[in-house]
Amino acid sequence: MATSDTTVRATAPPAAGKRTLMTVLVVAALAFPLLQVVFGGLNYWLHMLLFVFMNIAIASSWNIIGGYAGYISLGHNVFFAIGGYAGAILFAYFGVSPFIAFPLCGLIAMAFGFLIGLITLRARGPTFIISTIALVLLTKILLDNWDYVGGTNGISLPLLELPVDLVKLPFYYLMLLLAVGAVYLSFRIRRSKFGLGLRAISQDETKAEVAGVPTRLYKTLAFALSGLFIGMAGALWGYYLTYLSPAIFLTILVGAKFVLMTILGGRGTVSGPVIGATLFIVANEFFVTQFGATALNIVATGLLLVLVLVFFPEGIVGTLKKSGHLPRMLDWD
Amino acid sequence: MTHNIQILILGVTLGGVYALMASGLTLIFGVMGIVNLAHAAFMMIAAFIAYFAFQLFHLDPILSIVITMPVMFVVGIVVYRLLFARSVADTHKRGVLVLLTFALALTVEGTLGFLFSNIYRSTNPSYASKAILFGPYYLPEGQFYATLMSIALLVGLWAFLQYTRTGYAIRATMHNRTAAEVVGVNVDRISMFVFGIGMALAGASGSMLTFLFSFYPSKHWEFVAILLSLVVLGGMGSLLGALIGALLLSVIAAFVSAEFGPTWSPVTFYLALFVILLVRPQGLLGKRPEL
Repeated sequence: MATSDTTVRATAPPAAGKRTLMTVLVVAALAFPLLQVVFGGLNYWLHMLLFVFMNIAIASSWNIIGGYAGYISLGHNVFFAIGGYAGAILFAYFGVSPFIAFPLCGLIAMAFGFLIGLITLRARGPTFIISTIALVLLTKILLDNWDYVGGTNGISLPLLELPVDLVKLPFYYLMLLLAVGAVYLSFRIRRSKFGLGLRAISQDETKAEVAGVPTRLYKTLAFALSGLFIGMAGALWGYYLTYLSPAIFLTILVGAKFVLMTILGGRGTVSGPVIGATLFIVANEFFVTQFGATALNIVATGLLLVLVLVFFPEGIVGTLKKSGHLPRMLDWD
Repeated sequence: MTHNIQILILGVTLGGVYALMASGLTLIFGVMGIVNLAHAAFMMIAAFIAYFAFQLFHLDPILSIVITMPVMFVVGIVVYRLLFARSVADTHKRGVLVLLTFALALTVEGTLGFLFSNIYRSTNPSYASKAILFGPYYLPEGQFYATLMSIALLVGLWAFLQYTRTGYAIRATMHNRTAAEVVGVNVDRISMFVFGIGMALAGASGSMLTFLFSFYPSKHWEFVAILLSLVVLGGMGSLLGALIGALLLSVIAAFVSAEFGPTWSPVTFYLALFVILLVRPQGLLGKRPEL
């Protein structure tokens, strides 16, 4: 443990620029809503930013299993749905606001992740990927037929009663909290013995096992942990939309976007998902305002994923890092 | 009892078609080691070709395989050349290749959805609504002909693999890619050819699904998940396994459907997948330990 820690640190000396960048970003994000309070009229920008924060949290979480451990999950929106529906049930039937319950929703998603992982991670490679698609379709059918949460009609939640200029602020700050939390978790895992084990699994699982890495436990833990922040995000997002239905949370496209964001930025790196999520959400927003959220959006998502996989399979950060052009302040590993 | 035998008949006749759908998938996996998540998306392309051939030229959907099979064969060769040829030999890139097929599936789905919109379609040749009666039982004619055609194609595929030189080379590549290369098999050409054949089989399946199911572009996820579960049950890369898996799950799904309603029929397949992973991750006839 101690040896591996020192060797990792020795290759990556603490860079002052990195810390400055982080501080500037977080302080700017914290201060931005003051403009809204003073001037008003920035609701669209608050919406965009909180959506970016949420997706940073999601991509950084997906990266734990899909990047570090190399197990590609096409069905992580199941955690999003579990968190969302847990929050909705607690709110609609027990009166607990998602603002209080969201950590619990994350834990519920994580618990489900652990149980699902125990089964699906018995398989390696392609069989695992297949199981994640089946998981999305299965969860959708189950929720479609669960009348307690409204079935296909979905479930409506009461609106948050705040003046229109302030209504987005609690969501904004909580999503920011999730983004920072998920990136920090990803960073800590990357630097830990656990993270080293996960990367060994992604390189060669048999060798990792022979070398003494408890592969089953590590994979399952990584799968469960990757559900934690996505579950929390789901609970807050459901409340933000005030309406949840299986069709919103459980299409293949939703899960595909989680994957695309992370791979675009660079999977297996700490800063990759952050950059990927930000760029992708901005590009997607531009696309949707131009062409609408139609079948063309699916084409664009698919084509972009094809292009990234063929030309930059290591993503923006991975490719730049390999060629030595990655700015020091963007290398957070 | 009569009731149960009737359900069994319906299950078995649908199983033959599922087996045809899965054969291309498992063949490509056997030779190239990649799961083609776009398999059912390509079936959808063929389904639309067959649909329009029927609507515009009254071409029988079963006969339309003379168009869909060659067209999809060529599509398969092109797709293989463009996307897979360079990296298929590199086992470390296989995870990326599966993702690539996923991206391809999304692209195809979106394009079909954009061109033809996501409304339910199906063809209605005269036999689609008729049934053959024998004793207390009935056999829907459409399912019967589709299964006969599927079996004919599967037998043809088996004979091709068993008795031709190319088939021999394909089996050798499935068995051991490196060794096949060492003894002089051009594995790259074999892979390309097999990808084409796999797509042609998807084409034939697409033609026949037009009168068996109502279809729309995004339905391919349901199909591909069903096919993958029965392929995993049979053991990935095993043709016989795919056939057994198809018949087994299709019969179980028919009983579930009769008992609990058709909504739960696909659930049978998905749940079966998780049960298989718990009990026997390599499937019935699978042998590869890394699965």
